[in-house]
Order: sequence, then structure tokens, then C-alpha cells
Amino acid sequence: MEVVHIENLTKVYGSGHTAVTALRDATISVNRGELAAILGPSGSGKTTLLTAIAGIIEPTSGRVCIGQTCFYDNGWRVRDLRRFRREHMGFIFQSHNLVPFLTARENVLVVLQISGITGAKAVDIAQELLNYLGVGDRQAHLPEKLSGGEQQRVAIARALANSPQVILADEPTAALDTERGKSVMALFRQIAREKGSAVVCVTHDHRMIEGFDRIYQVKDGRVTDGDQQPPKGEPPT
Amino acid sequence: MNLAVRDLRQHWGRFGLSCLGVGLLLALVLSFAGIYNGFVADALGLIRSSGADLWVVQKDTRGPFAEMSRLPDDVRYRIAVVPGVRETSPYIFYTVQRPWHGRLLRFVVVGYDLGTGMGGPSQLVAGRGIAQAHYEMVADQKLGLRVGDVVHLGLHDYTVVGLTRGMVGSGGDPVAFFSYQDAEEIQFVKDNWAIRNARQRALAAYTHALPTQPTLAAGLARSFSDNPELHNVNAILVHLAPGADPAAVAAAINRWEYFTAYTTAAQSELMLAGSVALARRQTGLFRVLLTIVTTVIVAQIIYTMTLEKLKPIALLKLIGAPNRLIMGVVLQQSLALGLIGYVIALVVGNLTYDKWPRRVLVGLPDQLLLLAIVVVICLVASAMGLRRALRVEAGAALTG
Repeated sequence: MEVVHIENLTKVYGSGHTAVTALRDATISVNRGELAAILGPSGSGKTTLLTAIAGIIEPTSGRVCIGQTCFYDNGWRVRDLRRFRREHMGFIFQSHNLVPFLTARENVLVVLQISGITGAKAVDIAQELLNYLGVGDRQAHLPEKLSGGEQQRVAIARALANSPQVILADEPTAALDTERGKSVMALFRQIAREKGSAVVCVTHDHRMIEGFDRIYQVKDGRVTDGDQQPPKGEPPT
Repeated sequence: MNLAVRDLRQHWGRFGLSCLGVGLLLALVLSFAGIYNGFVADALGLIRSSGADLWVVQKDTRGPFAEMSRLPDDVRYRIAVVPGVRETSPYIFYTVQRPWHGRLLRFVVVGYDLGTGMGGPSQLVAGRGIAQAHYEMVADQKLGLRVGDVVHLGLHDYTVVGLTRGMVGSGGDPVAFFSYQDAEEIQFVKDNWAIRNARQRALAAYTHALPTQPTLAAGLARSFSDNPELHNVNAILVHLAPGADPAAVAAAINRWEYFTAYTTAAQSELMLAGSVALARRQTGLFRVLLTIVTTVIVAQIIYTMTLEKLKPIALLKLIGAPNRLIMGVVLQQSLALGLIGYVIALVVGNLTYDKWPRRVLVGLPDQLLLLAIVVVICLVASAMGLRRALRVEAGAALTG
């Protein structure tokens, strides 16, 4: 089942002779339970693609659909994008981006609170997620007291808190060593399989490429392909 | 989970200092309200405590407090026969500053009639009232005298027989009460050195004038033996008979050629429209300035606190936080700053007001008004921070 569907997405910054086309007719598709990588050098347009999928920037043309809902369709967009995000998306960043004045548990709770889940139920969910990601014993600590790997796990727990259809990750392994990076990729794989979310990662971390189901290359604003990777464990053809 | 409180938890030391600073500023704002109230209370204290219904003063003057008024003390008997008047009493009011045991005593001399007691001391906290017509005084405790102390004034020594509390003149100087006869003597009778000096000056003038200006010399010679005019007072206090209309009795007295009568309300108005009106404008202006300064400082603190959390705000927007949640954080922190500052202002005020040199009277209406001002200040001061917070793009969380 297709969860992320991007069709002929174009983003032009500026106008006239100063116009810069950051994205040209990008089309990608990610199914439920799949891990997709968006690869490309700096300035190629991959962050523009991610922010367009997240509804943070408004594309110039094209179509962006998450699940059954197209929130952008050639100039039309849903009115409350922030609400759409909190109901359908989770975010993970390279720099973990935890709220510095909230403990690990509170960082997860805040997403639940924004989604209208409060009280003991929210606490139970947060606790369960943190345990699931192996940082249950660190839940009362502020981000500054957590290691990089622990912060990334808390960030993943936060991204999962609203049971999103899609998790958008920006360089999630770039700040981690190979072992921890692989551990995070394994976690993504587990989440995709167990929770059924689609995971879209912007990355140029070639160490982790083999962990993805689909790989999209972005170069000069063009998305070149969406090759399906061989199933994990089988040798590449 | 309250995000505003969670954020403050991280910076409680700095936030506490900010609250203290804002609290001290608010304490000043509140103090100026209290200082003005103190001015009014001081200005009206003697009028209210006198028990008089009417104040009769020299024609066309606004005495005895706002302006000098002088009239013979026997006028009391003429006024006493006006229909509606029950009793009258002479009243003297002037300020003196005299050395006493190595320090200066500055106080208001109030002379009153011991018989009627009108205009005399109230709120005695030690000793007794004046019991004999001469050489006794009752002083306000603010003057620093004790019962039994002796003060030399003019030709005589006066013994402090009682102490009052809170009896001050419109300038804040403590009041000392005397019989009106003693008050007249203190004011008009020169001491021996002054008499000798005046005689020497008069003799020199007489000697100089005698050869060429015999009429002037004769006048100067008469002045050697002149007694000063003692029997002048500053006002006659009037107590009306039950049922008498103050305005009607005042109108009757005003029709006489040389007197002006004020009701107690009119006398109070004269005081408030005089020196107190200026003080009111002065303190009012200062309060406005302090309020503006407080607003600017609170705005700056809130704006700085907002700038420090732009990244978390962008993150909250990215994960779908509605604007009201983000506005709530900024507004709650601003209100917390203002309200904690307000409580500090109340505590600091209550601990210090009795140590101020002049009376500071802060009532519940002043406190409630300040609370309303604080809330408005916080809302206004949040505007800049709110504007900045709402302009943060969710994408800033991604781009770092």
C-alpha cells in the first residue's frame, strides 16, 4: 500500500532571471513498511524534497500525498498543515533536535499532548516507546545528560509517539559512528515492520545504503530513479 | 505538562533575578502611589482631627494652611454669636526650626484652646494631654522627643507631657501642640538677645534722626516701649450647633467685611489644590515613567527569553504544535515574571514603608490597580516576543 506519493513536484525559488529551480518534476513513491533513502550531494535539492513532503515549504507545482490524503495538489493545499503533520508524520534529525528543557519522557509526552493525548495514558505510551527503544531507564534525564545514541533513540520515540504513517528523517545517522548508525537503521527496519510506517531518509551516508528498500538519487533538482533494493540478506544483483 | 514552567526550570536563577528586578521596580511604582496617599493624609490630617465644621480666616486669604492668615483672637466671640454656631476656638499654625541638644528640631507649632480642645492633639500614645495653660507641650513621636524632655522656645522652657502618633503637617513635619497663648508668645515675643539687638538698632536710628527729623525720632522713641501684638491667631475654628447648615453659616460669616469662612470640605479642597496637587502631578508622572520603564524591561527580558528558544519553537511547530501553545509559553512566562515581581513588590513594600522618611500609605485599591497594570504590562511586553515566536518557520528545525 502506497503511503508516500509525490508526483511531478517542482519547486522554484525566486522569479524572473533570478529564479532557481530546486526541484524538477520529482516523482517518488514509498509503500507502507518500506525504508526509502533520498541520496544526493549538498545543494542537490534533497532537503527541499524532504521539506516539501513535510509540508514545510509550498511547492510550485505537483502533488504531495500521504496515505489517502493529498495535502498539496498543484496550488491547492490543506488549510491546517501543522495539524496534518502532527496526525500523519514523525520527524527525526541529524542533530536529534530534542527540546532542551524537557526530559526524555517529556520530549515524547509533548507530541502526545499536542495530539490531545494527556494524563496517565500519555505517560504509559511514552514509557512504552522509550522502553521499546531501550532508553526507558533514561527517561527522567534532560537531553544534555544523554549520549548521542540515546538522544537519537529518544528522538525516534518522539517521532513514533503519534503513530505516524510516515517518518521523515534528515541525516539520522550522520552524527553516529558506524555501529550506532547500523543500530539506528535496524531500529528503522523494526519500526517499519512492526508499526507499519514508511520511513523516508535524506542521507548521504553511504555506509547505510544497504539498509534501505528504495533509493532515490537527487541531482540538480531531478530525482533520477527509485530502484527497489533486493530484499535484505540477498546479494545485490 | 506546562512547557513554560519546564523552560523556566532550566533558567530559574536568572529568571529569579529578573523577577527580583521587576519586583523592585513595581515596588517603586506602588510606593509612589503610597507617597501620594501619604501627602493627602498628611495634608488633611490636622483638618480632619480638628473636629471643626468651619474655618474662619482673614478676609480673602486661603489660610491657615495654604496661605498666611492673621486675625485677632477676640474675633472668636463675635463669631460665636452667629446663628448656628455652637462654639468657637482660636487656632495657630506655623513651622519652626530650633536647635536642641546638638540637633535641629523642625516642627509645626499648633496652638489651640484648651477649653474647647478643638484642633488639639488626638491619638496620644504616651503621657497625657496639656493640662495647664502655659509651658506644656504635646509632641508627635516623629520629633524624637520623650515625655519629660524640655525644649526652650522664645523666652520660656516647655515640657513635653504627651506624645502623639501620625500627627504631621502638610509638609510632613511633626506637629507640636501648645496652648494658643503659648503659641502666640513663641511666635511673636522676641527672646532677650533679640530685644537688646532691636533696641540698639532703634537707638542708633533715633540718634541719627533726632537732629534733623524730630517726628521720626519721636516715633522711634515710642517703639522702645511698644509691646508686640500678641493677640493674633491664624484661624477661628467653629463648631456648629446640631442641624445647622455649614454653607449657610459660612455665608453669614462671609458677609462680614473682614473674614472668610470655609467649610471643612472647602478647607480640604484648598489643601489638595495647593501643594498636594503639584505633588500629585509629580508622583503621577514618575509612576507613569516607572511603568514605561518596567514595560520596556519586561519586554526585553521576554524577548531575550523567546530568542533563546527559537529552535525549540521551530521544532514544536514542525511536530504540529498549534500557535496557541507557543503563544501560551511566551504569555505564561511573561505573566509569571510580572506576577512574581508583583508579589515581591508587595512584600518589599510592606517590609519597608514604615522606614521611609514620609508617610507611605498603600491601600487595597492601589494594590489591585497595580495588579491590573502588571497584567497589562505583561501582555504589552509579550507582543514583541510573540511576534518573533510566531514568525519562526518550522523548517528552521530542519536547517538548524
